[in-house]
Amino acid sequence: MTALTKKIRKPNWKASMLILLLCLLALLAAYTFLFLKHDADAVDLNSQLMPMSFDHPFGTDHLGRDVLTRILLGAQLTVGYAFMALLAAIAIGLPIGLIAGYKGGRLERILMRIADTFLAFPDTIVAIVLSGLLGPGIENLLLAIVFVKWVNYARLVRSTVVSERQKEYISMAKINGLGDGQIIRKHLFPHIIGNVLVLASLDLGKIILLISSLSYIGLGAQPPAPEWGAMLNDARPYFQSMPALMIYPGLAIVTVVLISNVLGDYLRDKFDVKKEVQS
Amino acid sequence: MSVLEVKKLTVGTKSQPFVKGISFEVQRGEWLAVVGQSGSGKSMAASAIGGLLKPNLSAGGMVRFNGNDILEMPSKKMREIRGKGIAYIFQDYQSSFTPFLTIGKHFDEYQRTHLSMKKSQRIENTQQALLSVGLAAELSTRYPFQLSGGQLQRAAIALALLMKPDLVIADEPTTALDSISSFRILQLLAKLKEESGCAILYITHDLRHAANYADNILVMKEGHIVEQGEQAQILACPEHTYTRSLIEAVPILKQTSNL
Repeated sequence: MTALTKKIRKPNWKASMLILLLCLLALLAAYTFLFLKHDADAVDLNSQLMPMSFDHPFGTDHLGRDVLTRILLGAQLTVGYAFMALLAAIAIGLPIGLIAGYKGGRLERILMRIADTFLAFPDTIVAIVLSGLLGPGIENLLLAIVFVKWVNYARLVRSTVVSERQKEYISMAKINGLGDGQIIRKHLFPHIIGNVLVLASLDLGKIILLISSLSYIGLGAQPPAPEWGAMLNDARPYFQSMPALMIYPGLAIVTVVLISNVLGDYLRDKFDVKKEVQS
Repeated sequence: MSVLEVKKLTVGTKSQPFVKGISFEVQRGEWLAVVGQSGSGKSMAASAIGGLLKPNLSAGGMVRFNGNDILEMPSKKMREIRGKGIAYIFQDYQSSFTPFLTIGKHFDEYQRTHLSMKKSQRIENTQQALLSVGLAAELSTRYPFQLSGGQLQRAAIALALLMKPDLVIADEPTTALDSISSFRILQLLAKLKEESGCAILYITHDLRHAANYADNILVMKEGHIVEQGEQAQILACPEHTYTRSLIEAVPILKQTSNL
């Protein structure tokens, strides 16, 4: 644990760069309206499938829409939705894991068996079933992702709390008359939040891929939403004449997933006390 | 008047008791040593007194602290007793403090919960407490991993005595320390006990510790009390064979002439 404490206080420049890059991309996506002159949904049938030009740096798609605008707005959609799903999954999983781990006993067993049941569903299947039941759409897709992902957080938080709960500083806090809320907030939460951050950053990439791949088969974002996976799907009939139409959204997905995975790996190494001791 | 009165205390899971109906009393200002080998149930009995049992264990019988039954106390009242009345010192000094909080934060949080006083007063109390156990006041800004084992255990004692509790339960506080550090810790405990007048329930497997400082000794084996009485009497003429074997098991350094 000592290594953990030290590392929290001394962030490495590599991680700072990554976070900076992520923030930069987020800012770019959030403030597209400042520098983009095209409307993402404006159809212009006179300028279909145009190659890159000064007016359209990434060219236009089969309906004459500006691809750069759609990619940047797609970042808002794809990454934004992934964040929403992630936050919802954490918001459900974290308290459940916390209660289960801290209280223990029968409550823990009940909560964890429920979580195990959810774990039995593969995420893609749940998404397809939910789309079948509720109709395709990004909301139902997010619902499916939250439905599957919260379990990971509940299990992670529970196992962290269970292993920390046995340490004597928790007994010490109890015997010093601190309340449960205070113990959880001050003495347990910093442990939990580190682990949750690592899992979340790894999950972000997975969720983006899931949203994009399900949008690609038509179950996620619906046209004309400029979601990256949906854009890939739109570009499919033209991939011989205009391969760039598929390359841009594909590259966008790869970039964001890569950043989130590298960040996740980095955080995982930083919080891994054993690795820290060896080095 | 007795600070702690334990009657027919049983601790265990539903199917198996580990502490099988023990009764004893701790008087005000008394140092009572509970001696027994690992697994005799001494630590478990100590956890039951503070209400620190794991969820799968339950305690039966009666534990009275200053006349109030602890086992049936509402949690709010219990929290106050835990803060001000009973304090613990644990064996594992490495994890006695939350790793990401400074030593001073622990003292501060503890005082803020139970007392209402100004921040400057709390800081002064913290520094005073650290000084009283022979630590430098600057240590309050350090993290637990920056302190040595002996320093941590001293800080733990300072924290335990901060609220001037009536009873300090020391659960093998010196077991994980080297012999010189543990000797100093014992000396310190004895000194602070004299100063503050608190009672000490000292749990140990090492009879040597009991021999030097305890007023009374209580010997436990397999969840039962096999013998209890005054220190001198137990050490001089133990009645139970188990006590005798414990005394014989104490290693003695002999001077050898042929070195």
